[in-house]
Amino acid sequence: MSSAATPALEFGPILRAMKRNKVRFGLIMMEIALTLAIVANCVSMILDARREMARRSGFDDANLLSVRSTPFDPAFREDGYLDNGLRQDLETLRSVPGVRAATNTNFLPWQGGGSSTELRASGSKGEWLRTQIYPVDEHGFEALGVPIAAGRNFTAEEVESSAAVFRALRASARPRGADGLPAQKITQDVVITEAYGRLAFGGNGPFVGRMLEDNDGDLYRIIGTIDAFYNPYGWPIHEYAVFYTNKNRSYEGGAPYLVRVEPGQGEAVAKAIEQKLLAVNGGRNLRVRTVTEIKGQFFGSKRLVASMMSGLVVLLVFVTSLGIVGLTSFSVAERTRQIGTRRALGARRTDILRHFLLENWMITTLGLALGVLLAYGLNVGLVSTVAGARMAWPLLAMGVTLLWLAGLAATFVPALRAARISPAVATRNV
Amino acid sequence: MFLYNLRVALLSLRRNSVLSMVIVGGIALGIAVATLFSTMRHVLAKDPVPDKSRALHYVRLDNWDPLKPYPGDDPTRPPTQITYQDMVSLMRSDIPVRQSGMFKANLYVFPDPKVGRPTKQMTRLCFADFFPMFEVPFRYGGPWDRHADQGPEPVVVLSEELNDTVFGGANSVGRMLRIEDREFKVVGVLDRWRPPVKFYDVTQFAVQAPEAMYVPFNFVRPMKIQTVGNRDGWKSAPAPGLEGLLASESCWIQMWVELPTREKVEAYKSFVDAYVIEQKKTGRFPRPLNNRVTPMMAWLKEQRVVPNEINALTVVSLLFLAVCSLNLMGLLLGKFLARAPEIGVRRALGARRRDVFVQHVIECEVVGVIGGLLGILLSLAGLAWMNGWAKTLLTRDDFFRLDLPMALFAIFLSLLAGLVAGLYPAWRVCRVPPAMHLKLQ
Repeated sequence: MSSAATPALEFGPILRAMKRNKVRFGLIMMEIALTLAIVANCVSMILDARREMARRSGFDDANLLSVRSTPFDPAFREDGYLDNGLRQDLETLRSVPGVRAATNTNFLPWQGGGSSTELRASGSKGEWLRTQIYPVDEHGFEALGVPIAAGRNFTAEEVESSAAVFRALRASARPRGADGLPAQKITQDVVITEAYGRLAFGGNGPFVGRMLEDNDGDLYRIIGTIDAFYNPYGWPIHEYAVFYTNKNRSYEGGAPYLVRVEPGQGEAVAKAIEQKLLAVNGGRNLRVRTVTEIKGQFFGSKRLVASMMSGLVVLLVFVTSLGIVGLTSFSVAERTRQIGTRRALGARRTDILRHFLLENWMITTLGLALGVLLAYGLNVGLVSTVAGARMAWPLLAMGVTLLWLAGLAATFVPALRAARISPAVATRNV
Repeated sequence: MFLYNLRVALLSLRRNSVLSMVIVGGIALGIAVATLFSTMRHVLAKDPVPDKSRALHYVRLDNWDPLKPYPGDDPTRPPTQITYQDMVSLMRSDIPVRQSGMFKANLYVFPDPKVGRPTKQMTRLCFADFFPMFEVPFRYGGPWDRHADQGPEPVVVLSEELNDTVFGGANSVGRMLRIEDREFKVVGVLDRWRPPVKFYDVTQFAVQAPEAMYVPFNFVRPMKIQTVGNRDGWKSAPAPGLEGLLASESCWIQMWVELPTREKVEAYKSFVDAYVIEQKKTGRFPRPLNNRVTPMMAWLKEQRVVPNEINALTVVSLLFLAVCSLNLMGLLLGKFLARAPEIGVRRALGARRRDVFVQHVIECEVVGVIGGLLGILLSLAGLAWMNGWAKTLLTRDDFFRLDLPMALFAIFLSLLAGLVAGLYPAWRVCRVPPAMHLKLQ
């Protein structure tokens, strides 16, 4: 074996050596294949989770506070008292330094649900289309930090008159006609998301001025639209929303508020709010939370799973590298005499080093080829259970590269040791 | 002989301590990861009432919109809960040995002003059968009796935690507690009851803690109590307010029945179908007959109490163990073959192949067991870390626990991993011919 041997010529002896140690090299191949399959799939799932967590809601999440007042004082059972309290609360909230806007709405971003209903384009006779639906007041969009994309916002007068309509509805049953539907139809003004507009009317607007209807025949006149809206829901209606206007307060449910603060003021304002509101009326409890906290809760289990998967990937690559180091070490130890003989016959250190690196590179490559197939198989298996975690092929390529490098790195130390074996070993007995 | 082999195995481990650490460490990692994730899955998947979950059935009726099915992944499924009017009718059946409709509400409790401010507490409205049906443990007192359901009598069962905050942990049976605007008499205090999955109500987040107090269902009307659980509807209520809700097609009540025999299950199914067919005559239930009386474990599975991600993680963690096992196999093979000259001598001195084989298999199992025990310790650390997460996520810090079945499973896995990894290397090494190595020596 001359020192001038080209790499191509070295394949032969390596392959023959591998054939003699089929099981051992097979093991390493399987290990690498499984590692690639697991790493590629885990990273796919991790990236999927990260993508979902990085989705933008369209609201000023970082600067939003949720405030909930739950009364126990029986005085709150009376409508007038409730309305009075509502007005005082909102005035107080707006007077707190650092508050940009405060609104009375039961919409709460990232709580993982909300309320929904089914509507359709008025007169369309089409399918009922489910959408999220929330009551807001005239400060709702300002508090969320969402601009009105087209049309206009609600006015304070509309909030009052709408609240009066709903109060009347709550007081007595609506007379119904022979068809079982209410005899008198109601028309309310709504602001919808562009996404729901596209769903209900097809095409891209303008949607302002158009009508929706519900299965009681009541009508919803679109006075404005907002563009950005994403609120994860139990059903796939995350981007569909209809906002109407009403006052949200009752003895049983209390009053929910959303408060938008100046950047960075969240903690300070949250502390001030509870005391100030209790000073206005102490016959209730208050709960103040940041939307960041609520979002953290919502994604908590997802983040837990993602971080555990990341840990697993790191451990796995570590264990596999260790396995490669171990096997190469054995292979070096076992072939000490042969290496000595080769060195004595004129092979240079770099030839020995290259032999082991090449040997390992071949095994790794075979393992990776098998791993690509396994990764695909595991992905089909996993996709059928975890919807959406489809394999990203560039990712697989990255996984292959990573494991190639890990394989080379892991071989390097034992291979260097092999290269240092003195030619004199050949003449000694082991 | 076994003890001798054991000593040889331990000596062999001591001889090359770095290699042994790598070998044992690798298997320990594999066992730790597999145990950790399997435990996580097991906590969610295990049967919460093992001795009678087969008898417990969840009842659903399809009262949904004639034009489209109840929304969800599977359009053949009826709504997950039932209406008030249907619950009242179904509860008239005498086929189930126990039964209860139920829902959760958030009610104000007014402790003695010296003790604290009024607080809202999660409350379950249910019937007397709830407690024996789900084998709820009591520390003081017991459930109310069925007569109290009918009144309804103002009686309440408190959780241990609420009894701690309101009555300082004393035996409060017989004491009075103001809930909303009424005085209730405490009849029972639960013993520490923390099923990991809130199996009797998985219509929302399945891993909530049980409610803080329990009051008779029939207070729903006099106290105008609204659910804080899901309320699904497709048709507007015939009247406003609570009365409208009670008469409506809104689904918001969970209904459980205890049917201990096959005959009872069949009889109850026929009863439910007959009821719905009867109701169809009044114009209700416009959809095709689709009622479900589902056994508890099947219902929990259908509601995906074990999230898919956890299933995926469990599979991945077992594959991880497989990689560790392959790794171990390679290392043991190298280690054993490096010992070939010594084996050759022993074989030449009369050791049988079987002796050599058994000795090496035992050495592998020693590695497996040591690695397994270390792995269990590691997984305990992992579970403690995960309980830290559970504390912030679920406000409970004892969620993930390694129980005896899982500890045994971990030991089994480590023995299996040792065996799988060791069989081939041991077989290889026992076939070392005696003569060859003698010559070399």
